[in-house]
Amino acid sequence: MNEEIKVDKTLDLKGLPCPMPILKTSRGIKEVEIGQVIEVLSTDPGSLADFPSWTRSSGNELLKTDQSGEVTKFYIKRLV
Amino acid sequence: MDQNTRNDLLQLFREKLNSAMTYYLETCTRCGICTEACHVYASMGQVKHISAYRHEIVRRIYKKYFKARGKVWPSVGEAKELNETALEELYESAYSCTGCRRCMVYCPFGIDTQMIMSIAKLLLIGAHSEPEILTLLADTSIEKGKSLDLFKESFMEGVKKLEKDVVKKWKMEAGETAIPMDVVGADLLFVALAGAHSIIPTAAVFNAAGEHWTLSFFEAVNFGAFVGDPTRTQLILDRILNEAKRLKVKEVCICECGTAFRVMKQLAADQPFKVSSITEVHARYIKSGRIKLDPSKLNGPVTYHDPCQIARNGGVFDEPRYILKHLTNDFREMSPEPKYNWCCGGGGGLVALGEDTLDFRMKSARVKADQIKTTGVTTLVTACENCHTQLNNLNDHYQLGVNVKFLTSMVADALMQ
Repeated sequence: MNEEIKVDKTLDLKGLPCPMPILKTSRGIKEVEIGQVIEVLSTDPGSLADFPSWTRSSGNELLKTDQSGEVTKFYIKRLV
Repeated sequence: MDQNTRNDLLQLFREKLNSAMTYYLETCTRCGICTEACHVYASMGQVKHISAYRHEIVRRIYKKYFKARGKVWPSVGEAKELNETALEELYESAYSCTGCRRCMVYCPFGIDTQMIMSIAKLLLIGAHSEPEILTLLADTSIEKGKSLDLFKESFMEGVKKLEKDVVKKWKMEAGETAIPMDVVGADLLFVALAGAHSIIPTAAVFNAAGEHWTLSFFEAVNFGAFVGDPTRTQLILDRILNEAKRLKVKEVCICECGTAFRVMKQLAADQPFKVSSITEVHARYIKSGRIKLDPSKLNGPVTYHDPCQIARNGGVFDEPRYILKHLTNDFREMSPEPKYNWCCGGGGGLVALGEDTLDFRMKSARVKADQIKTTGVTTLVTACENCHTQLNNLNDHYQLGVNVKFLTSMVADALMQ
């Protein structure tokens, strides 16, 4: 559980290779309201490069990246 | 469509009219030899999928706006107005063509359908009617090139976690780095797909060969090429070219990604390094004795699917077969021969569009499934991510009963320590 960030939706994308995490996140984020936060779970190392760049190019905000375990967790706030 | 929009689109069209394109647009005699060459037509039997028909949609717009007879007497000049209906036809034509260039091999004039379709794709971009997900992926790739500092440390940390799996495939001395990154002066820059499956086996083979290599921060795939945007294609390519120059490498090696290899090979001329596919590099290691493979790892008959962008469009035919000779005693060639190999049906951005195109991809690649079935193999090998995904989908859909494998993974699994 993340104690600092209120998560409105979780996308479990473990096991999916690039570019599927970005593809599914770009669709999934539209299922929450602007201002809400999604948590994305990914095991693809490419996601560590993809999400900072995707949030910047798409106009959303990457609040936090947690790569303490085998699964990396991205917390993204929908801004557009 | 208002006149300003049409003028803008015609300007994009005009920019594509070099001498080769003009030749392609003015030469077709409608001989029909290309009819059976397209896997989509051969599988589905619809006239709109004949290569010459695809050309004709673009060609008639060309006649309307760039040829005197089309301008003056459109009905005789077979001219077609550029409007919303034409854009819909261009979309269907461009995004049902995988750019495999099989039709070009059959065409007596060598007309390049992929080049003609590049006009269609560019017009769609100009009209904001392209598949937006491809543009989004291309823009993400471009952004990576601008903001390496945003992800450099975390990406290196993520890659570090893969090293234990590399060492399982090829043991290393204590203190050696299994996946080197950012190594100035390395001999070879490896451009992977940023996924573990693309990095781990290849790293093991490089280490086994004693290669002085370094892993790129950028993924090989070029979504700009899929969507047919020359500007985005070049910007995505530039990230890798700049990295290769910064690290002063002698060779850039592209992973199992057909489009990435073709784009790098064809657009990166006059660079201070050579460009190779991973298949070429592995064949070189075997020839020079830098790696040895155990052929007993693989059982049953094996065939190889030539990715169109690596073989027909990239010239790499012999190397995968040379590698497979060292992995199996029961290699079976597909028919027809490699130059005329059927496309898997997943290229041109169709696999990247995922489930949206799945039904079409399955129906339009029936001939590929038949071609595989005829070989009677149990293992189907390829060297392209797109092909691998599409062949797995075909395997499930047509119940081919084969094991679809990457050539690189097979090399890594057969390494003799």
